Amino acid sequence: MSSPAILRHPEDTMQTAMPDAPPAPSATPQSAPASFGTLALRWYRLNQGSLRATAIGIASLIAFLIVWHLLTTYRVVFFVRFTNVPSPLAVYASFTKAIHDPKFLMHILLSCRRILMGFSLAALVGVPLGLIMGRFKLIHEIIFPVAEVLRPIPAIAWVPMAIMLWPTNEQSIVYITFLGSFFPILVNTLHGMSLVDPVLVRAAQCLGARERSIFREVYFPASLPHIFTGLTVGMGVAWVSLIAAEMISGQYGIGYFTWEAYSLVQYADIALGMIAIGVLGLGSSLLIRGAGQIVMPWRAK
Amino acid sequence: MVRHLPTLSIAMSVTSLALLIAQPATAETVTIGIGTQDTTTNTVTAGVVIRQLKLLEKYLPTEGKYANVKFEMEWQNFTSGPPVTNAMMANKLQIGMMGDYPLIVNGFTFESNPESKSRLIGIAAYSLSGSGNGMVVHKDSAYYDLADLKGKLVSVPFGSAAHGMVLKALQDRGYPADFFQLVSQSPEVGSTNLQEKKIDAHADFVPFAELLPFRGFARKIFDGVETNLPTFHGIVVRTDFAEKYPEVVVAYMKAIIAANQWLRDNPKLAAEKIQEWTGISKEVVYIFLGPSGNMTTDPSIKPALIDAATTDVKVLQNLGRMKEFDPKKWVDDSYIRKAYAEMKLDYDTQLASTKNYEISGEDNFCKKPIGDPRKAGEVWVDEAGILPFSSATCTLGAYADYKAKGKKINVTYVFDTARGIKLFADQAFFAVGSDEIAPFLLKKDAEAYAAKISGKVLGFEDAVKAAVTGGKT
Repeated sequence: MSSPAILRHPEDTMQTAMPDAPPAPSATPQSAPASFGTLALRWYRLNQGSLRATAIGIASLIAFLIVWHLLTTYRVVFFVRFTNVPSPLAVYASFTKAIHDPKFLMHILLSCRRILMGFSLAALVGVPLGLIMGRFKLIHEIIFPVAEVLRPIPAIAWVPMAIMLWPTNEQSIVYITFLGSFFPILVNTLHGMSLVDPVLVRAAQCLGARERSIFREVYFPASLPHIFTGLTVGMGVAWVSLIAAEMISGQYGIGYFTWEAYSLVQYADIALGMIAIGVLGLGSSLLIRGAGQIVMPWRAK
Repeated sequence: MVRHLPTLSIAMSVTSLALLIAQPATAETVTIGIGTQDTTTNTVTAGVVIRQLKLLEKYLPTEGKYANVKFEMEWQNFTSGPPVTNAMMANKLQIGMMGDYPLIVNGFTFESNPESKSRLIGIAAYSLSGSGNGMVVHKDSAYYDLADLKGKLVSVPFGSAAHGMVLKALQDRGYPADFFQLVSQSPEVGSTNLQEKKIDAHADFVPFAELLPFRGFARKIFDGVETNLPTFHGIVVRTDFAEKYPEVVVAYMKAIIAANQWLRDNPKLAAEKIQEWTGISKEVVYIFLGPSGNMTTDPSIKPALIDAATTDVKVLQNLGRMKEFDPKKWVDDSYIRKAYAEMKLDYDTQLASTKNYEISGEDNFCKKPIGDPRKAGEVWVDEAGILPFSSATCTLGAYADYKAKGKKINVTYVFDTARGIKLFADQAFFAVGSDEIAPFLLKKDAEAYAAKISGKVLGFEDAVKAAVTGGKT
């Protein structure tokens, strides 16, 4: 908001900023000529919003860790029981142990590869299929019931079928992560298609657009926001399916790591696996959001 | 947000206060959470049988401090031990049962629980020779021995009794730890993978090493007896519960004794009932729990089993999965002793005995009594029942006879000549000589024996033919 003002009067930031910068009491008059200070101040103003968000984010994560630490140290029992929940320090200890173990890195790398493959396939199949189903009623009528029946089946129930369907275990695992992300992507793409303003389509038709151009110029861009919602949700569900999928692997993967920790009842390792999945999930969602901003520059942050 | 907090916490403390006050007003309810493994056949007499026959209700105390107590049983069924441990740690279950390795992990995990420890208070079933765990391969595969699996993909549920068996087998034979590629798969996943030939072999605990061959797609190539290390399933209890309600724990022990008695009184009926309750085929149940079966149901805590547990601890320590843990300190036999005393039974006699109940009676085919039960055999004839026969030759002869009469035969059991474990006759290898038929689990054992008696190794169908033509006269 204050940025246009700064751009217009780069020399005397101070004066112009004063009247319309209520959220910045720290910007009280300083000598303007100090160019480094000015630059820093300007950078601060520009990024004020994101800086604030980052600071609060870090503070809340630290608060979360402190609360977790206190709850487990004092073994709080108040409806929820923290008696045997591992403390952050215990999890950190198993983290330092794991990070020196090349196997742990292998677990993470393989899981990332499986997610990447399963998710990319889901996106490559789900988005076009959603677009086509949204456009052509007959295809929608044929595919939709099947999709609706298969959609609520949890990943873990797919394990035996996936083993039998695919020749190698790696394919079975990718298949389960694929299923996890496929349905959210498909449903959201369909939803996006159903919300495309028919006026836009008619306008395009009036201007003599052919089917292909309408698809490319109207339907696709108009449903992009929903497609990206679908991709974000799909990525989340892909990670959710991971533990079920990696039960098959029997050797590698962060989901398998967590599963094995469970079968040997090692709570700190279970928590480590959970946090690793959480962090990886967060990272992959950020990637998708970033991609969304590149593809849809018209949408404000 | 800040403004709401006091109201919320006041509301919560009022509710909790109300709950606290409300409880003593009514008659006290004691909830007993029991974690069972219904599909793990050798825990059934400590779990599903007690539940279905309502044996615990029969022995629960009703007098003294329990006059006003209402018991509420909460049975939960799991397919492996770790989830039971997890629920016990969370105090959702107070009593749990599992195999030797999960039991140790249970005891060790409880060491760090400030509220309660866990104690081993009884045994569900055991095999001193280590039978029950086994390794199976696909029936079409060319593997007949562990040595054939060099460099192959073998799965086993990590942290299970079967995992211990595999590690022990590797050690015994002096194979390196990476002799085959060992991966962790749960029984469900491993079974499907084996059926689809995605793995070369799968090692598992009771009843899978018998169940999968019985289903018709697998063949057992290694039995736990070869490790000669005892294996067992046992019962653990939370100490905070046991100290507060020792009489309940004693009642539970009595229920186990009664369940074992029920099983031995009528093994066939028991096998049929257990199939009905757990879904495990009665023929498979019977091979473990029937007379001369591969498991002995006996609740006494034998020193040999605790020694085996000490060995198991070392295996887990070598894997870096466990620190210091002493199984001897973790055993508490006071409850089972009390149960024996109150039922007017002698615990020490039971403790010293390692006898199973054996096949007995009259062989109606060869017309003689059963001499050595571990050389005998049984034929399960539909309608007629399970009939004993004095030798493998008589068993196969009787099988052919019933078959000729058009009777439907469920299953035929024989015993491994060298190891004395019960086998499905149609899965066994037979060393057939001029005047004897000797069944074996392993092809190599049968071949060695056949060489000794200058006979040959036959499959089930050919052995039956040999029994009809040669053995009967």
